[in-house]
Amino acid sequence: MPDMKTTIIGALLALSVAGAATARAEEVLRFATWDTGESLAIQQAIAKKFEEKHPGVKVQVEPYAEGYDQKLVAAFGAGNPPDVMYMWNFPQYYTSLMPLDELIARDSAEIKPDDFPEGLMNTTRIEGKTYGMPSGFTTQVVFYNKEMFAKAGVEEPKEGWTWDDLRAKAAKFRDEAGKVYGFAVDAKPDPYDFEQFLWSNGTKYISDDGKEIDGYMNSDAAAAVLGMFADMARKEEAVTLHLGDETGGDTLFQGGKIAMFQSAMWDKADIDAAGFSYGVAPLPTFGDRPAHSALGVSAISIAKDAAHPDLAWEFVKFFSSPDSVAMRVNDLPVRKSVAEAKGMTKDPVYKPFFDILATSNTERHAYLKNANWGKIQDNLARAIEATMIDQGNAKAHLDDAVKRSKRLLK
Amino acid sequence: MDMAAHTGPKAEVVRRRRANAGRHLAPFLFISPWILGFLFFTLGPLCFSLTMSFFDWPVVGERTFVGLDNYRSMFMEDPQFRESLWITVKFAAIYVPFNIVMSFLLALLLHHATFASGFFRTVFYLPSVISGVALVTIWSWIYSREYGLLNFMLSLVGIDGPNWLGDPSLALVAIIVASLWGLGGTMLILLTGLKAIPKELYEAATVSGVPGWAQMVFITLPMLGPMLIFTFITSIISAFQQLTIALLLTKGGPLGSTYFFAMYIYDNAFKYFDMGYAAAGSWVMFVIVLTLSLVVMRWSAAWVYYEGEVRPADGDRDA
Repeated sequence: MPDMKTTIIGALLALSVAGAATARAEEVLRFATWDTGESLAIQQAIAKKFEEKHPGVKVQVEPYAEGYDQKLVAAFGAGNPPDVMYMWNFPQYYTSLMPLDELIARDSAEIKPDDFPEGLMNTTRIEGKTYGMPSGFTTQVVFYNKEMFAKAGVEEPKEGWTWDDLRAKAAKFRDEAGKVYGFAVDAKPDPYDFEQFLWSNGTKYISDDGKEIDGYMNSDAAAAVLGMFADMARKEEAVTLHLGDETGGDTLFQGGKIAMFQSAMWDKADIDAAGFSYGVAPLPTFGDRPAHSALGVSAISIAKDAAHPDLAWEFVKFFSSPDSVAMRVNDLPVRKSVAEAKGMTKDPVYKPFFDILATSNTERHAYLKNANWGKIQDNLARAIEATMIDQGNAKAHLDDAVKRSKRLLK
Repeated sequence: MDMAAHTGPKAEVVRRRRANAGRHLAPFLFISPWILGFLFFTLGPLCFSLTMSFFDWPVVGERTFVGLDNYRSMFMEDPQFRESLWITVKFAAIYVPFNIVMSFLLALLLHHATFASGFFRTVFYLPSVISGVALVTIWSWIYSREYGLLNFMLSLVGIDGPNWLGDPSLALVAIIVASLWGLGGTMLILLTGLKAIPKELYEAATVSGVPGWAQMVFITLPMLGPMLIFTFITSIISAFQQLTIALLLTKGGPLGSTYFFAMYIYDNAFKYFDMGYAAAGSWVMFVIVLTLSLVVMRWSAAWVYYEGEVRPADGDRDA
């Protein structure tokens, strides 16, 4: 027995000595991400390649997943932030992030900043300074079930189609017995994405200086958009999602219960797996105005107080390199060169994503304009939900949201 | 220090005092694990949060002293503050009486049960053992509009069930019912109280021909007083702190109809990262709960009887 004890203690000692030795030999770069599953695996693969190129460096990928913001804010609050992190909410964090403009200018031959679409770079800038490099993005499109269209004898959507076209098509799919609808409207959309419809109808949530919402968020053009969705629900052209029922539009579309589904790259893999033939149409327009899309951008940033700032920048460059960008198949390539090399800008499935990116660089998302946007947005979300429950009264609910948000504009 | 002092009677006093100090210190040493925990994890954060409530305190970025501005803005400008407080008061006003009355009735049933009382005691207490998240998952299945157990049962008797969690006028009721499911804890406390009432009292009353209802009013309820008041106060506190069920079951919706005060604080802190404002909200809640508890204690002094308690004669009470 004593022998066993000695062996165990010896083994433990050996392990701890070995552990200490490796800890000394490696420089650990901490990288926090919100992704999980396949997307996380891709990032781990990129990190592994970075380690191969930089012997003695270990990239510690920290998947915060759900509650990313809470964990990140706690890490910053405790003065122990990761070196490199996924970032989208620049207004909240930019005072703790490293401005990258000088580094980008210094290494521009390597980075080729012009290879990144302007619309994407806009989402990482605060007061003219760049605080992050885009690493993946998605725009919004309409997926449609080709088999359902063929069966119902409805003509498939074409480029330049309008919301009126969409509604006329959707009405033809309604089947009460089979619980089938032509389209789905969401009672609790992410207000971030929803602003694309206001842009497409010539208005926006908040003035460009971030100081006024009256006449923007509750403008007639905004009420017309929201009223249209409520009307679609009322006339059963669309099923209403998220009214006491958490079944998502993705599930309904994959199950053949809706013929058209407005979504983004994050649903594509599951739709592929559903096993039916589908098409991708651009977002419809309001009349002859061009359609704008919300931009879902994953960027990566460096903490101002990063433990290894130089290494962190090397990692950011590596993460934004054409090779790494090409590895990210779960969202779209942020480099024009990569998208073209992969033939995506001509592929009918991917083309609508890139086409709308080109026309979506003139507006900035509301959260970039006002630090209190998170709170204002919750009042807006309630107005949208109230309108969908009432199936009308859009203007009154939006007016109410503006009234409730006044104190937050100071 | 005067050496002479150590020899006289004065020194004796000093020595005795020291010994006394040692004797007095010992109990505190024994309870020090709790005291330290209380100081570092309760009182410390409590005082810290009071300080925070006077600041504009984002987690990331500059902190600025704003005096009472958080409180002013909350009371004067923030409609959500009043709405959330009102929802919480409504919840408490329904939940607390139901919780106590139903626990009491269940305890009474179990107390008089002639068979399988152990089984039913376990069954009634079971929901209190389940973690909040599991409990919410169960209730979301029960309440689901299309596939829910409740609406399925209603459909069997020909009723088209409502959208329990999607209808602003029903969601609060749904949450109250789900909360009442966990009344096993209260029931167990009252059951223990019932079992502790001496049988002789009832026997004497029966012999004297006191009817059953009068035995309930004059023996059971007074003897259960301390237990009732304890459960009353803890129910009020838990009603005001209601968060888990609403957060997970309805996320405060639909249309904010279940946006409890605790969730309002939670969102300010961990969604908007406005720590100062959230701390101010916590202090408002603390003051409300403290006041309510004090009022209940004061009021209960009139009717709660503690065994072995010596009360001043009625005439002296106001003195």
